[in-house]
Amino acid sequence: MGHGIVVQNLGKRFSAYPSDRPRTIMQAAMGGFKRFKPMNDFWALRNVSFEVQPGEILGVLGHNGAGKSTLLRLIGGIGSADEGQIHIRGRVGALLDLGAGFHEDLTGRENLMVAALIGGLTKVEVLAREAEIIEFAELESFIDNPIRTYSTGMGMRLAFSIAIHTDPQLLLIDEHLSVGDIGFKTKCIKRVKALRDQGCAIMFISQSPDQVMELCDRALLLNRGQVAAYSDPKTVVTEYQAAMHPDQKPRLPQAEVEVLGRQIAITAMRLSPTEPFHCGDPLTVELDYNCLEPLPDPIFSVRILHENGAVCFTSNTHRMDCNKMISPGTGRIRLQIDRLDLNGGKYSMHAGVHSKNWKTLLEYQDKMAELIVKPTRVIEGLLHPPCIWTIETARLESKQDSNLAGDSKISPEASAV
Amino acid sequence: MAISSKLPQQKKLINRPWIQRRDLLVGLVSRDIKLLYNRSALGIAWMLINPLMQLVVYAFVFGILLVNNSIPNFTSYIFSGLLVWTWFQGSLTEATGAIVHNRALIRQPGFPVAVLPVVNVATGLIHFLMSLPILLIFLWIDGIELHAGLLLLPLLMALQFALTVSLAYVLASLNVTFRDTQHTLGVLLQMLFYFSAIFYQVPEQYSHIFQFNPVLILIDGYRSILLSPEATTASFGWMPVLILAAVTAVLLPLGHRIFQRQSERFVEEL
Repeated sequence: MGHGIVVQNLGKRFSAYPSDRPRTIMQAAMGGFKRFKPMNDFWALRNVSFEVQPGEILGVLGHNGAGKSTLLRLIGGIGSADEGQIHIRGRVGALLDLGAGFHEDLTGRENLMVAALIGGLTKVEVLAREAEIIEFAELESFIDNPIRTYSTGMGMRLAFSIAIHTDPQLLLIDEHLSVGDIGFKTKCIKRVKALRDQGCAIMFISQSPDQVMELCDRALLLNRGQVAAYSDPKTVVTEYQAAMHPDQKPRLPQAEVEVLGRQIAITAMRLSPTEPFHCGDPLTVELDYNCLEPLPDPIFSVRILHENGAVCFTSNTHRMDCNKMISPGTGRIRLQIDRLDLNGGKYSMHAGVHSKNWKTLLEYQDKMAELIVKPTRVIEGLLHPPCIWTIETARLESKQDSNLAGDSKISPEASAV
Repeated sequence: MAISSKLPQQKKLINRPWIQRRDLLVGLVSRDIKLLYNRSALGIAWMLINPLMQLVVYAFVFGILLVNNSIPNFTSYIFSGLLVWTWFQGSLTEATGAIVHNRALIRQPGFPVAVLPVVNVATGLIHFLMSLPILLIFLWIDGIELHAGLLLLPLLMALQFALTVSLAYVLASLNVTFRDTQHTLGVLLQMLFYFSAIFYQVPEQYSHIFQFNPVLILIDGYRSILLSPEATTASFGWMPVLILAAVTAVLLPLGHRIFQRQSERFVEEL
């Protein structure tokens, strides 16, 4: 096919100028036109290398400010790199600023024409696929109204529809695969897959690990402008999730990512009691590991997540005085929780191992075991510890002396059994 | 899932980029014009009303209140100068904001940024062309006959177009670093307006100073074609126009390069 994206050693530097840098001609004239040197530089991207083949989807993950959008812009030809090279072959279609060319006072149809022309189509081509774009955006009955009457979602749908109908050979998507309602989202994803099957090389930024797992052939994790991981989606997503939870792993910049499970592997997790588990019961978690190399002071950690993704509990062996040199061989580590006041529901157990002082993630196993807590009488909330309500019925003026007399105690409506 | 039928245009691969550029330019210009007149009651008629009102003012002030001139065909004389000036001033002012006001467009991959000032100048050209028939009517009232020399007009217009675009490139670039360029330009243009002999004739003793005003060179060119048909080829000195064309030929690629670089810098600014 002969197109795709190859990025080698990409680096991009931004400069911050001192705040008294002249902004107007007058100021510059008074300042005597001296050259202002940038105060300090920082690298928004450094040593970034990867490639996307035709028919391949690359997902880009990372924190806010990790350099994801900068990377996409550079590939789109906006701005120039300070280091390294970008080779692209093929026409770039991009969803970076959705609805950039839209003007409030013009109708959807007029805006569609201009936006598609900006997107690189000719007039004949736009007219040929106008109906298709409108149909995809589900705007048939609104297309001749001014954009100012549109809801945000409608505008986004139109913009998205235009962008994916410009026949791109390289498609760059900046966190826009979550446009509109679920129905439209599904349609967009289907369309992106169809474009991929036609040989389009696609890069998209996502904050959703599930989406990356579902769509991507490969994934890239950026951290402060550097590649933290570049591998198959599962590995990268695991790394991303670990990085997203600072208590689990406070030190983000990792120079080297170890291949998970190479030095130590968690082979099994046992919970006791198993079933039934009631709110407030003690819980013991046992991890079996198989250590392959001697490890000084590794940190074991355990997380409990609610099925909706909320992290309910984490604990680790850091500063617990139970770290020591672990020698090769199998072993077992035990976490004893005195009481676990989780409300009724489904929870999953995750476990991981970091090297000394959180340097690298050595092993991570998600959803190793499931914990089902029997329903309590309270439906909402993640926690249900024993609690007592007290109502003071005494009049305010006689409060001092009738403190006890006027109180009535109400026993907890559902005590932890 | 079937993606839309392959495009008919894709066979002519060599032509396509140019067709695309042209369509984009036309699309952006027509959007500009629609936006200008979309929500006004008189709509597109403003294109004609504007220059006419100006003409009434100037003709009243300088033709009736301050009658001290002996310019033949005074109305046509003012109107021709006024039209040329309005095009120049309007598009230059607009285009100076070309980079600063179009961040979203500049950030579209593959968007040919250099088209932006061209859009502004082309919008001005449309206004100019719409007003041209009125000028021709005034010429007819003044008893000046239409003649073959008018065919030279497009050449002058092309020169004005190119000159305005080149200046716009430079000014729009400057406006990125110094945001007050647009305001400063307003004052400078005001001065230039009075030095462009729109409603007077250049006194003989100052003509050596005035000859450096590019707008005056253009206006003189237009006037010699429109107002004095018999002198078009004979007595009018075409040298200044040719020099202006040469200067523009140098300025245009230079301005283009500066513009390209500045717009690239602009989108990178945090």
